[in-house]
Amino acid sequence: MARVAHNRTPHALVAAGVALLLAGSYWGLLKAPREIFMGDVQRIMYVHVPTAWNAMLALSFAFVCAVCFLFTNAWKWDNRLEAAMEMGVVLSLLLCTQGAIWAKPTWGVWWDWDPRLTTTAVMVFAFGGILALRAFVDDPVKRAVWSAVACIVAFADVPIVYFSVKWWNSLHQAQSSPQTVSRAFHWPLRINAFGILFLWTGLVALRARVAALRLQSEIHPPVPEQKSAPAGAPVPGGA
Amino acid sequence: MSGVVEGGWEFVIAAYAVTAAVLGAYAVSVFVRHSAEKSRAAGGEKGP
Repeated sequence: MARVAHNRTPHALVAAGVALLLAGSYWGLLKAPREIFMGDVQRIMYVHVPTAWNAMLALSFAFVCAVCFLFTNAWKWDNRLEAAMEMGVVLSLLLCTQGAIWAKPTWGVWWDWDPRLTTTAVMVFAFGGILALRAFVDDPVKRAVWSAVACIVAFADVPIVYFSVKWWNSLHQAQSSPQTVSRAFHWPLRINAFGILFLWTGLVALRARVAALRLQSEIHPPVPEQKSAPAGAPVPGGA
Repeated sequence: MSGVVEGGWEFVIAAYAVTAAVLGAYAVSVFVRHSAEKSRAAGGEKGP
């Protein structure tokens, strides 16, 4: 049986992520200049935009894991899929909350059925639904296959979220990029983006270990003597 | 009306506080689950 890795890299990634987030937030809150139209409220951008980038990245990683699981049948990809989807849903929910807090002083409303906001809500419910599905399926093989297929279907919404501001008339501003954001705002944005990236990669690695340990006990519950798995059967445990 | 948003620090503080709370709470939940699963697996390996 494959062993679950126990190195300290995820802890180091989480620590680096927290340090970068503290530095980027200090810069964004206290050092970066005020934006001329939105004033201080624009400082929400330094957490909102990195959260959006990383939510999409985490869900894209979940998509890659789903494809890899279906092609290889290796349990490590199912463990990573579960971890990445959970992280993606947490980041997407956080994204919607930050967006609502930014929308109120600038748009005058907490929520609007605008294409960007609506497609993001669909994304949250789709991936949240897959996590709920996983919780209700006891058979590990069915659970892994169904959630991988569902993840691939749900992922169709991710590029729609990204391009929604280009394809339709949207209240939401266009994607933030070096061309659309003033140079004075680049550094806190980048530092926080790498901070959240390090944080979620570390957490996903740890969460995948949790999934691997649970799977080990599910497929091979601790008994005095275990029979070896049949040849060709997927081996649980890889994180 | 100048067309410029005045003030709004309460929204900025709320956004950063929510971010810290959500990411912090999720990180703690992952660490707790990880250590619980490790302890359970270590207990199982010892056997009855």
